[in-house]
Amino acid sequence: MTAIEPPLSKVDSGEAPAARRPNLWDRLDRLAERAGEWLNPILVKETRQALKSRQFMITFTLVLVCSWGWSMLGVSLIGPNIYHGYHGWDMFCGYFVILAFPLLVIVPFGAFRSLAGEREDGTYELLSVTTLRPRQIVSGKLGSAVVQMLVYFSAVSPCLAFTYLLKGIDFPTVLYVMACAFLASLGLAVVGLVVATATTEKHWQIVLSVALLFGLGWCFFLSLAFVLGELSRSPLPFQDGDFWVFNAALLTDYLSYFVLLFCVASAQLTFASNNRSSLLRAVMLGQQALFTGWMGWRFAKDDGELMLVVLYLAFSGLHWGVMGAFMNGESPELSGRVKRQLPQSFLGRAFLTWFNPGPAAGYVFTVVNMASVLLLAGIALVAGAMFLPGRASPVLGANPYPTLIAFGVAEFSYLVIYLGLGRWLTAVLRRLNQGRMLLGALVQVLLLLAGCCAPLTIHLMIADMRDDYSLLEISNPFWTLEEILTHRSLSPETTIVVFVLPIVAGLVFLGNLPSVVAAVRQVRIAKPQRVAEEDELFELQRHPPQPVIDPLAD
Amino acid sequence: MIDAHPMIELRGVHRHFGATRAVNDVSFEVARGQVFGYIGPNGAGKTTSMRILATLDQPTAGDAFVDGFSVIDDPDRVRFRLGFMPDYFGTYANVNVREYLDFFARAYGLRGSERSRALSYVMSFTKLDTLAEKPIDGLSKGMKQRLCLGRAMIHDPGVMILDEPAAGLDPRARIQLREMIRQLAADGKAILISSHILTELAEMCDLVGIIEQGRLLAVGNVAEIQRSSAALQTTPIQARVLGGAGAVAEWLAGRQDVQEIRTDGELAMFEHCGDREAEAQLLRELIEAGFRVVAFGSQTRSLEEVFMHVTRGHVQ
Repeated sequence: MTAIEPPLSKVDSGEAPAARRPNLWDRLDRLAERAGEWLNPILVKETRQALKSRQFMITFTLVLVCSWGWSMLGVSLIGPNIYHGYHGWDMFCGYFVILAFPLLVIVPFGAFRSLAGEREDGTYELLSVTTLRPRQIVSGKLGSAVVQMLVYFSAVSPCLAFTYLLKGIDFPTVLYVMACAFLASLGLAVVGLVVATATTEKHWQIVLSVALLFGLGWCFFLSLAFVLGELSRSPLPFQDGDFWVFNAALLTDYLSYFVLLFCVASAQLTFASNNRSSLLRAVMLGQQALFTGWMGWRFAKDDGELMLVVLYLAFSGLHWGVMGAFMNGESPELSGRVKRQLPQSFLGRAFLTWFNPGPAAGYVFTVVNMASVLLLAGIALVAGAMFLPGRASPVLGANPYPTLIAFGVAEFSYLVIYLGLGRWLTAVLRRLNQGRMLLGALVQVLLLLAGCCAPLTIHLMIADMRDDYSLLEISNPFWTLEEILTHRSLSPETTIVVFVLPIVAGLVFLGNLPSVVAAVRQVRIAKPQRVAEEDELFELQRHPPQPVIDPLAD
Repeated sequence: MIDAHPMIELRGVHRHFGATRAVNDVSFEVARGQVFGYIGPNGAGKTTSMRILATLDQPTAGDAFVDGFSVIDDPDRVRFRLGFMPDYFGTYANVNVREYLDFFARAYGLRGSERSRALSYVMSFTKLDTLAEKPIDGLSKGMKQRLCLGRAMIHDPGVMILDEPAAGLDPRARIQLREMIRQLAADGKAILISSHILTELAEMCDLVGIIEQGRLLAVGNVAEIQRSSAALQTTPIQARVLGGAGAVAEWLAGRQDVQEIRTDGELAMFEHCGDREAEAQLLRELIEAGFRVVAFGSQTRSLEEVFMHVTRGHVQ
């Protein structure tokens, strides 16, 4: 790069201007500029854009005007009662409505539009040819959403402080509701980003944006129902230990889903040849471990309440069913880049192969995880029976163990069967057309619908057996599992189902084995020479060789 | 250090969209400091190949390399070495010229004084320094093109891919752009450029590739393409003969190596089939035959003529 002369205006003209001592603001300005060097470029750009954008100015002004307007209206309606009445909560509700709309609708939709707009305008392509990583792009967009949230909070904060001065609301409640609103807004913003990365086609973007807008509107009204309805009736039990445990569980689950969605959005933006799956699988596993931990704690605390085992099995099945459906949509080909990072050792190949991208590895990963869930549930049942007093469940009846085992076995078998069939079908469709991530999920939904609706239609046509479960419903996992659970002892039909399903699941699993074997056979390949050369150069730059000191030299 | 690998290399690249073969077995190389002109009709596969090189798309088969790194397996290493200027502007609302370039400099990981230096160099190179505070929305097309070129070179890449950079520019802006591209090549950058303005490409390119229906029909410099193309193995020659060209035309008509003879007063124009040595021999024979030849010259074919000969105007 050639050196450029500084512009004439900047060249010292000989008359030195009177030097001004930098004041606090100058120093702060310099500090902020230095800090800005290390900020996410997207955050810097988006903040610059947002501060100049009309949409932001209008929303901010509206929030400000509405907050002050509500303050005026509230004070004039309450009148002199404001000095001794309990009106803090009423005022707070008004401010919450004003704040919740930008937080739960504008900010998440803005995050969605910001990324979707980049893809529509082609600027995303310009971003993706830079050295910015997809993770930085997503975190930059999220950071920009957080900045907007903070600005909205700052607009309403004087009003919130005002409610605290009134009677009828305490500081922890204000803080709790605001923290919930912040987390909800952040969570919805990451959902918006995931939706924005789901497709690049314009017609789908429109459909998704309408769906997202409806979803956000629903969340907004849900939050109003929670704050204006629930919280108005029953104040938050801050003194109750269980309340905090419940919140801790909720927060960790929220964080795990936030991380998962963040990784999904980043993975969707990642170049196809990169490994987009291993991190996602690690996060899914972490979620399962977290859920297991919380459920185990609750199980021990509730003296072995067996309904918790049912909940654990049901939610875990749902979790792995959904995750497995998305994993089925992965491309079966491993790029050279992924092959360079495959595990080499025996233990690595035995335990980490299932974290590799590809539907076959994903299928085994799902099945193994669900099997672990089943095993853990079994251990919990045994441990509960041996060490805990046990609690009779009105749903499960006096002898709940056969029901629980049947439920677990049937659920596991359904997962193996449906995901296995979905994997085959997705592989066939992939050959006909270029497959996408969503293809696997779509195939799974259609398969499940066919499995439920086809026998149901036949069933409904037979007048005398409309309400009764029959073997015809064996392909309907929901009815079958419900039937096993709600009838306190296994009926002849469910007994047959529990024996047939594992056999079918075994056959489907065996049918999937050839592709699983192919996935296991993949071996690590060497780096290309050019890459090895550059890595060596980087390594030398990072750790320059120490000069050899010869003690005999003078 | 001598480069063991070309800066740009396409090796048997295919890109299929269903039944359409947008790029069909395309291979070529561009060395450091070379300008490669990529020409072809609309829909020929130029942009698709360029997008593959820019790591925006993946080939169905084959591979492409930038500075020896595969665009499929090492896109992050490629991006660091590559500046891409697509055929659209890709500008942001509510951003001025300096902020726009500053953003991309940050996106390429430039920090502190390094970024300031890059910004002032690029703004000076593209002559945008006087427009630094101007909102992008208010820039003219030529200014936007310069801005996009600035964005593509902000991180001083060794390879630049410019898709239709001169489209829609006025003659002055085009000349300025040409000068900039020449300067970039002189700085050692390998440049792949596509354009429909063939006269300009002919002036600035060291190599030319002609693509049609996804197939690379010819690669090399213009003279090489002429030599390699069967349809272009004749050279247009003009001879000025005192006393009229009619007799010369009659004399030439009896020769095997001459065709398409036309006359205009003292001027005889014809297509000669043979190399430079054969041209010299023909001139000698004309003079020996008694014709008073005062001017005799072969004309190089323009890139447009070469293009028209090589391509057939088919689209997929």
